[in-house]
Amino acid sequence: MSEAHDTSRTGSVPVTVLTGFLGAGKTTLLNHILSAEHGRKYAVLVNEFGELGVDNDLVVDADEEVFETNNGCICCTVRGDLIRILGSLLRRRGRFDGIIVETTGLADPAPVAQTFFVDENLRDKAHLDAVVTVVDAFNVMQTLDESPEATNQLAFADVIILNKTDLAEEARRQEIVARIRKINAVAEIHEAQRGNVQLTDVLDRGGFDLKRALTTMPDFLENNEHSHEEGIVSISLSTKERLDQQRFNAWIGAILQEQGADILRSKGILHFEGSDERFAFQAVHMMADGDFIGPVREGESTESRLVFIGRNLNRPRLRRGFESCTVEGAPAV
Amino acid sequence: MTTTELLVERGAERRFESPIVQVAAARDGESFAALTADGDLILIPRDELRNAEAWTVVQPHDGGLCLAADCVANAYLTGGEDGRLVRTLPDGTMEILHEGRRWIECVASTPTHLAFSSGKVMELRQAEGTQTLKTLEHPSTVTGIVFDAKGKRLAASHYNGVSMWFVQAKVDTVRPLEWKGSHIGLAIHPAADALVTSMQENELHGWRLADSHNMRMSGYPKQVRSMSFTRNGRWLATSGADAVVLWPFFGGGPMGKAPTEIARLPGLFVSAVAANPKENIVAAGYEDGTVVLAEVSDNGADDGRVLPLCAGQVKARGVVNAVAFTPQGGAVIFGTEDGVVGAVDLSAAP
Repeated sequence: MSEAHDTSRTGSVPVTVLTGFLGAGKTTLLNHILSAEHGRKYAVLVNEFGELGVDNDLVVDADEEVFETNNGCICCTVRGDLIRILGSLLRRRGRFDGIIVETTGLADPAPVAQTFFVDENLRDKAHLDAVVTVVDAFNVMQTLDESPEATNQLAFADVIILNKTDLAEEARRQEIVARIRKINAVAEIHEAQRGNVQLTDVLDRGGFDLKRALTTMPDFLENNEHSHEEGIVSISLSTKERLDQQRFNAWIGAILQEQGADILRSKGILHFEGSDERFAFQAVHMMADGDFIGPVREGESTESRLVFIGRNLNRPRLRRGFESCTVEGAPAV
Repeated sequence: MTTTELLVERGAERRFESPIVQVAAARDGESFAALTADGDLILIPRDELRNAEAWTVVQPHDGGLCLAADCVANAYLTGGEDGRLVRTLPDGTMEILHEGRRWIECVASTPTHLAFSSGKVMELRQAEGTQTLKTLEHPSTVTGIVFDAKGKRLAASHYNGVSMWFVQAKVDTVRPLEWKGSHIGLAIHPAADALVTSMQENELHGWRLADSHNMRMSGYPKQVRSMSFTRNGRWLATSGADAVVLWPFFGGGPMGKAPTEIARLPGLFVSAVAANPKENIVAAGYEDGTVVLAEVSDNGADDGRVLPLCAGQVKARGVVNAVAFTPQGGAVIFGTEDGVVGAVDLSAAP
């Protein structure tokens, strides 16, 4: 699963971004992670210093200092404090195995995530492992009704921790999961009480390991229900045809340039003509990157899948565009 | 290419465990220091420059972030991840001048004052370092501090520009120099004609101080991590390209003028620069560990002499992170990402 990924990221430190509304249980989860016996060392960047109950010699106080870069992307905001602090921390070798960045309750996850695409030095030394969003099963429905930020945090997530499940009955939990699924169809959802998650569900996910997420949802394509949470929807596209890499790059580049402000995240596992390896693609708004993540094993599907999470997405248009990237879809020369 | 490097003939080097983040010479020129990312300070007496075994190591910090010559002529100031500001004397004696919760990210001094920052706050103290004269707040974290050559003004870079303050002012009124974006470091012209910042997006921004007129200097393939004005202020030397980039600060420049490029090593990026305080010479360090001295001609011709001190092709030393001359200009020191500290005596006959 992640072995192949590790080899392509040699020496790169995984960064986990922890988001979630005030009171959802971020700090409890963080304390649980840090006090667990995992034999690994984490540097933690926090905003509300002092809340952390665990002794960790690598807790750094960071202000969420967001600025807009002048790199031509209209929506590209990044966190300069992360660039500086992580830049220094990463110089000291062998100090830690991973970094956890906690954001404040109302924070938009985009700037944190984009920081890892924008800064050259960080891009070389660290990678965004996963955005983990903690939600409180007792309050989540109301929070989603009242706050677009909460919807954004769910839309951004790779992993969603549904915390305080002891405070919600089974029927209620199903209702919550259904609502979350409408916003974000691909994130993994884990239930927890007082932050008691499996560490492997949260940390060192091996980057955007989408294969599982994408393949565990066979019925997703047929799910045409739309969410009304701020108009955020997940759109999944797939094709069994091989893709032409050049054509895909041109198409996705144009889509992100045009609609990057509305597309919160896009991710995919792609199979290109002329390569035996799978290609993992991900983007945060307009910032995209990708990696070949190892060969397809015997018996594995070579279907390419791509997911967009965002607003104002035109499904038929995206589908036609994606299909025109296949080798078969090439216009006759 | 000579096989015996000048570094070997007229200097010495030593490798340490941790990357070198900054190097400096003391105000009296009698010693050098290099700060590692782990927080060790390497002390090099001028007399023992060629005897690396005699260099001493002290540990002022857990996590080193910034280093500058002290107000006190023979000492150094360092700031670290441990929230401390420390003064270190050449014999290794250390004194904690400040201890707080947050990282000390920037430090600068003149013979009469020192300034350091943690987060958005810059503190100004007298030379002894014990008494706080001013506590100056900024809109975001301070990324660089400079004093002007006369020590009358100090400036701090941060998001959306620079704040300039008067050292002796009774009432602190900031002079804001504004430009949208993230400014990650700054340099001031020796005659205080201009102030220049490096920006996140591989370009420089500047202000003519007479009238706050904006200057933009762009076209860099990489972020500019190092800047240094030549001694007469005619040129600003910078890293960020596969040559030392020199912007003219005379004859109306740099506005509307193209920069000169010297000491080009095609495909090898300059990572650190320092102008010699006495001669028209710039020391430049490259990404492969090469360090050269390059002559700067007054008219900007790019045919000046280039003297290699050490070469990446001869020995791998890592990206040069910092380079500095003594105030008298007779010796140079550099430090690399791979933990190599090198020092070369330029004055004595070999």
